[in-house]
Amino acid sequence: MLEIKNLHARIAEDGTEIIRGLNLTVKAGEVAAIMGPNGSGKSTLSYILSGREDYEVTEGDILYNGESILELDASERAAKGIFLAFQYPVEIPGVATMQFLKVAMNEQRKYRGEEELTTPEFMRRVKEAAAELKISPEMLKRPLNVGFSGGEKKRAEILQMALLQPQLCVLDETDSGLDIDALKIVADGVNALRSPDRAVIVITHYQRLLEYIVPDSVHVLYKGQVIKSGDKSLALDLEANGYADIIGAAA
Amino acid sequence: MPAVQETIDQVALIDVDQYKYGFETKIEMDKAPKGLSEDIIRFISDKKQEPEWMLEWRLDAYRRWLTLEEPKWARVEYPKIDFNDIYYYAAPKGQTGPKSLDEVDPELLKVYEKLGIPLREQEMLAGVKTSKIAVDAVFDSVSVVTTFKEELKKAGVIFMSISEAIREHPDLVKKYLGSVVPTTDNYYATLNSAVFTDGSFVFVPKGVRCPMELSTYFRINEKDTGQFERTLIIAEEGAYVSYLEGCTAPQRDENQLHAAVVELVALDDAEIKYSTVQNWYPGDKNGKGGIYNFVTKRGDCRGARSKISWTQVETGSAITWKYPSCILRGDDSRGEFYSIAVSNGHQQIDSGTKMIHLGKNTSSRIVSKGIAAGFSQNTYRGQVSTHRKASNARNFTQCDSLLIGDKCGAHTVPYIEAKNSTAQFEHEATTSKISEDQLFYCLQRGIPTEAAIALIVNGFVKEVIQELPMEFAVEAQKLIGISLEGSVG
Amino acid sequence: MNIQTAITMTASETALVDAYTAQLGELPGDGAVLSARDALLNALKTEGLPTRRIESWHYSDLRALLRSVPAFDTAAFAEGVEPLAAGSSVVRVLNGKADVSGAPEGIHIRRYGESLVEGVAAADLVERGTDDAIGRINGTFVRDGFEIEIPAETVLEQPLELQLVQSAGQSHSRFPVTFGAKSKAVVIERHLSVNDAPSLVSVVSDLIIDEGAEITWIILQQQGSADSHFGQVNFDLGADAKLRIFVINAGGKLVRQEVHGVTTGEGADFQMRGINLLGDESHTDVTFTLGHDVPHTTSTEIIRNVVLNRAKGVFQGQIRVAPDAQKTDARMACNTLLLSDDADFSAKPELEIFADDVQCGHGATVIDLNPMHLYYLMARGIPEAKARTMLVNAFVDEIVEELEDEAIIEPLEAIIAAWLEKHA
Repeated sequence: MLEIKNLHARIAEDGTEIIRGLNLTVKAGEVAAIMGPNGSGKSTLSYILSGREDYEVTEGDILYNGESILELDASERAAKGIFLAFQYPVEIPGVATMQFLKVAMNEQRKYRGEEELTTPEFMRRVKEAAAELKISPEMLKRPLNVGFSGGEKKRAEILQMALLQPQLCVLDETDSGLDIDALKIVADGVNALRSPDRAVIVITHYQRLLEYIVPDSVHVLYKGQVIKSGDKSLALDLEANGYADIIGAAA
Repeated sequence: MPAVQETIDQVALIDVDQYKYGFETKIEMDKAPKGLSEDIIRFISDKKQEPEWMLEWRLDAYRRWLTLEEPKWARVEYPKIDFNDIYYYAAPKGQTGPKSLDEVDPELLKVYEKLGIPLREQEMLAGVKTSKIAVDAVFDSVSVVTTFKEELKKAGVIFMSISEAIREHPDLVKKYLGSVVPTTDNYYATLNSAVFTDGSFVFVPKGVRCPMELSTYFRINEKDTGQFERTLIIAEEGAYVSYLEGCTAPQRDENQLHAAVVELVALDDAEIKYSTVQNWYPGDKNGKGGIYNFVTKRGDCRGARSKISWTQVETGSAITWKYPSCILRGDDSRGEFYSIAVSNGHQQIDSGTKMIHLGKNTSSRIVSKGIAAGFSQNTYRGQVSTHRKASNARNFTQCDSLLIGDKCGAHTVPYIEAKNSTAQFEHEATTSKISEDQLFYCLQRGIPTEAAIALIVNGFVKEVIQELPMEFAVEAQKLIGISLEGSVG
Repeated sequence: MNIQTAITMTASETALVDAYTAQLGELPGDGAVLSARDALLNALKTEGLPTRRIESWHYSDLRALLRSVPAFDTAAFAEGVEPLAAGSSVVRVLNGKADVSGAPEGIHIRRYGESLVEGVAAADLVERGTDDAIGRINGTFVRDGFEIEIPAETVLEQPLELQLVQSAGQSHSRFPVTFGAKSKAVVIERHLSVNDAPSLVSVVSDLIIDEGAEITWIILQQQGSADSHFGQVNFDLGADAKLRIFVINAGGKLVRQEVHGVTTGEGADFQMRGINLLGDESHTDVTFTLGHDVPHTTSTEIIRNVVLNRAKGVFQGQIRVAPDAQKTDARMACNTLLLSDDADFSAKPELEIFADDVQCGHGATVIDLNPMHLYYLMARGIPEAKARTMLVNAFVDEIVEELEDEAIIEPLEAIIAAWLEKHA
């Protein structure tokens, strides 16, 4: 489903190279975990996948379902089914959460040539998904992410994911700032979406989240490259021994 | 809180009479007759042995000045100035220009010693860092001495009085004088162009980083004189210079006029850092006497990536009216303005800056800290504008005012003018008194009120103090202390 | 300035003077009113319309901007429309002529024309200062309006809409309104135009808000694209009284809306919210002054501007804190989205503080849309153009939401959305 080939990318403004020859393949139905120390380029990768303009790809390619997505803007990629659950979901004052969900769902449907949802159908879907994630109707009345606690913001991200039904989900440090109960709710939400035609990339610092969302593959990112890949035992190994050995071996 | 009231009372009592530089020096002077006329201008030009073109330039300005109306300013009040009751030229007898130290009248040298200004070519010790500071000393209408000239010359830097520069580097002066502040600019700039007497000239050639701090000390001594300073600083491509001016005057009952024009030109990649510690006599506690400080200061970031930074500590003068400005003409150029304005007694300050964004990707930053005490009025007035074609202009402005006592006023008047959709301007202003929470916190930790206020005020102005050359930061902090004596002892 | 020197009059100034001569027989008022009118016109004649040299008109050089003045057109026909908020009481001023039918029970209301005829209005017809061009124009030509008194403790359950519809020519109206102690009301001052014919409209509202009253005053200006609109609200806010003024500009060619007020009783709270939707070649100026004259009063002002096309916008806001007005808390913010390189916006937020124990602040920003917000919306599949519109809408709807009454919020949001649809 996703094939990243020799990707090089830098910050557009100052030219700092962050991703330096990254290769990664994620198949449909796979849950891939990306781990790595601070500053290894994990969040940058998620931004580049979703098409944030502050980064420039200088070399290599990203193929999604066999097609390069480099020329697509963020909304086109989203409509094609790439979803990023932000590490820091953005607060947008004045934009009501419900309005936002409705516009996002319908614009994606429009892009794919589908009928727009009727209001009752939309409401039904939101209510159902919100209940699953223990999101109160009160929260949905507020402006998007404004005044939400850290945990509420992460749950709101998963709610959007459930509603938008993406094909490729990228979770950027979704576990950060969550207590154990919230973590379980979020993990259940993600697990409910696991299916043979959907892939998930879990970016995380810690093994903890992977106890709840069990990955099929684990990749260690360091200085903008995948320096080691393995199965879930690699994550346990990292938890026990840290990154130093792997980094040392790769150097 | 009673402790605060006590402090306020104390400030009111001690007021501005703490001025330490108010002594007068008896020196025999050479003066032009009082009043202003073409003859007086010829007299000044002749004293300075100026070339004919300079005289013509002055006379042109004078004739224009005669057609102008004296401006009235919204927030500044003062009795009408009689421009014919001023001496436009006053110099120590026998001194028409700078001399070597051995030739200067010892009485004059004593003045500078008393003011704490180093005229010997010695290294100045400030904190742990030893550094050299070149000084141009201007006494009323004439520069009396300029130090380190030779050493600077070796580095290619020209540092001399403007009067000398007109004779020795006429091409440079002709090229740049009036190119930033045209003679037609405003009433006082036009007057200055007609009658300016002395000031400094700095030229830093391409690629040279000026090896030491440059500074000029302005002293008004003689009664009934006006001081018309003219300073011109040019930094060629890639050059760097840091310059500081200081000013003091004797305590007198009459008001005296200081109407300066300062022009800065920065070419590609050049940087000029201009700092002012202004401590003219502010008048007595009843508002009698003091200097009228009506000054036009402007920097032209003419070259790409050039940078001009103004830092000012304004504690003196009965009235201050000045807006050191930056014309951000070069692409990617940057302007900065950092100001501390302290007013006490009956002082009136109307000061701020203009940031005119003309080139692409220009940025500016304004940090202004006003502290008003006694019966003073303290106004920040600033303009930020973009030209229609000036894409990606950025400005950040923070201006904060602190009031000590309830008889003073603090005012903020920004003018924000955007004509390009890519402009990003952010302006923030606050006015408050010293936070009772902060004060209580200090008191609770055993710090007495006086010291606590000093601590808080120092914190309030710190961001600006940090911009001063290190050698002067300590001095400036002390000066603020003295200006608010009683609250920040 | 040398006031004695006669100025050379512009075409518009001449037109105003001529209109006065032509209308003299038509304008209501007794001798006292007439001499008040004469004095105001005379000031206009000798000093002319204000130029940028007058500080309060620095960004709106009226002398240059007011290019033409339409003649009075007494024959023009204008018709009322449905109220903005369903269920409101509506009184109308159609082409300058007032009609009190439609007024709610429990308030005192009469035509201002009657006050002029009786002469009691003469005292109103004075200028605020030598820079008060709106006061001069309105006072010279005022013909009608409403004099309203909301008695003490009266609570108006439904909004009261003052509907001014103009089709052509000029109209000049006044609304002296007294809100009695502890009264509550929402008043909508609504300006509409039914066609594209140029008109000149001036309105002066003098509000007195007694102790403990809670008043919302909404000015919705949707005049035609060739119209000049000069509005002025003056208010006096008593102890523990609350006044909220909403100014929404979504029309007009040359617009100046002034709001001037003082707090005169402790515990008074003033709020102003402004939305300026500026497009085409319009020039719109909102000028505000507030004097905190007594201790313990509060105010906040938030102005949001969306500037498109070749429009020019101005906001001037001055907060004065009088000596001894301790414990004043005043905050002002002016945020501008400048969305065109041919548009411009100037802001002059001003603080004039003479008391020390105060908390005052202002902020002003000129910005583009937040790129992070845009990215977030796009990352959810919303195309860029749509995402931009959503964000612009959000920028101003935030202010509208503060009204808290859905019956008013909904139609206002619809007006804003329609305006943005048309201009963006």
